[in-house]
Amino acid sequence: MDFQLNLNSETVDHAYLGQPLMASAETSLREVLQILREQHQGGILIQKEDALVGIFTERDALRLMAADAKGGQVDYDQPIKNFMQTEVVSVADKTTVGESIRVMSEGGYRRLPVINSEKLPTGVLTVSGILHYLVDHFPQVIYTLPPKPRHAAGEREGA
Amino acid sequence: MTLCPACGSTNIEGVDYCDACGQTLSHLDLPVPATEVEKSVTRDRLSTLQPRAAVTCGLNATVAEVLAMLVAHSLGCVLVVDHDGQLVGVFSERDALHKINCSAAEMADRPVSELMTAAPQSLHCEDKIAYAIHKMNLGGYRHVPLIDEQGRPTGVVSARDILRYFTGLLASNAS
Repeated sequence: MDFQLNLNSETVDHAYLGQPLMASAETSLREVLQILREQHQGGILIQKEDALVGIFTERDALRLMAADAKGGQVDYDQPIKNFMQTEVVSVADKTTVGESIRVMSEGGYRRLPVINSEKLPTGVLTVSGILHYLVDHFPQVIYTLPPKPRHAAGEREGA
Repeated sequence: MTLCPACGSTNIEGVDYCDACGQTLSHLDLPVPATEVEKSVTRDRLSTLQPRAAVTCGLNATVAEVLAMLVAHSLGCVLVVDHDGQLVGVFSERDALHKINCSAAEMADRPVSELMTAAPQSLHCEDKIAYAIHKMNLGGYRHVPLIDEQGRPTGVVSARDILRYFTGLLASNAS
C-alpha cells in the first residue's frame, strides 16, 4: 500500500515539525510560562551550554498551577531547571514518520524533539503535526466531507 | 461531463439530476475512498475508538477545582455543562496555560465559565472517524467532545485515540 510505504520511507521532517522553543536552564518559571503563552506553544526545550538537558510541557505547568490554586505556594521566580523533566525522549531527524508515530503513541508523548547528528534540536514533532501529515495523504476523503455528519433532507424537494 | 448511469446521456459536471431522464446524479460526485486507510476512516465510527468517558463540571466550578480534576484524572480537558446537563464549554490544558498562566493563586476562586472555551465543536459517537480528524486538523484541537441527541456529553475523542487507531490500522495492514 502506498501510504504504508510513505510512512516507512519518509523521514520525520516531512511531518510538519514545529520550531523548537528553547530556554536556558536558569530562566525563571514565570518567564517560561509567559514565553509559552506568547508563542502559543505547549512545550519548551531547556538547554544548558547548548546541550539539551530537559523539557517543560503544559502538563508540568498544569500540575504547578493546580498546586498553586490549592494554596501550595509555587515560587515562580525559581529557575526552570527545578521544575523541568530531565529525561527527554527524542528522535533523530533521519527516523521515519512511522517509527516516530510508534514512539509517540507507545510512550504517550505529545511532543517529540527531533535532533540532528550534532544532538541539536531542529524541530518538534507534535500530535497535530502528525494529524496534518496524515490528512495530507488522503485529502480527497477528508476535505470533501459533507458539512454535517448526519445530513438528511427535511422534506422531499419539488414533490 | 457526467454520464447518467440510467439512460447514458451526458450531463454537465456537478448537476443534481439527469437532464434527459430525471435520475438523481448527486451520489456520483461523492469521493470514492482509494486506499484501505481512506476506507477505514470513512467507514469506522468514533465509538470504535472506545473514547474515554466525559469528565464534566458545572458552570460554577472554581478554577482550583477544575485544575485539580485535570491533574487527578490525567485529563487534557474537562467538559463544562449547564444545569440541564448540556455541553456549554470546554476547559482544556491549553486554556489553563494561556488564560491562567502564573496567576493560579489569584484566580483560584473564579468560576470556570469565565475562562472556558464556550460553544465547542462536538460530534456524536456514531459519526465517522474522518469527521474528528477533519475538526482536529482544521481547528488545531486535541480533543473533540461527543454528545448525545439531547446535547449531553458522552465522551471525548482525543488526538491520541486517533494516532492509536492509525498505528493499529497500519500494523494490521502490514501483517
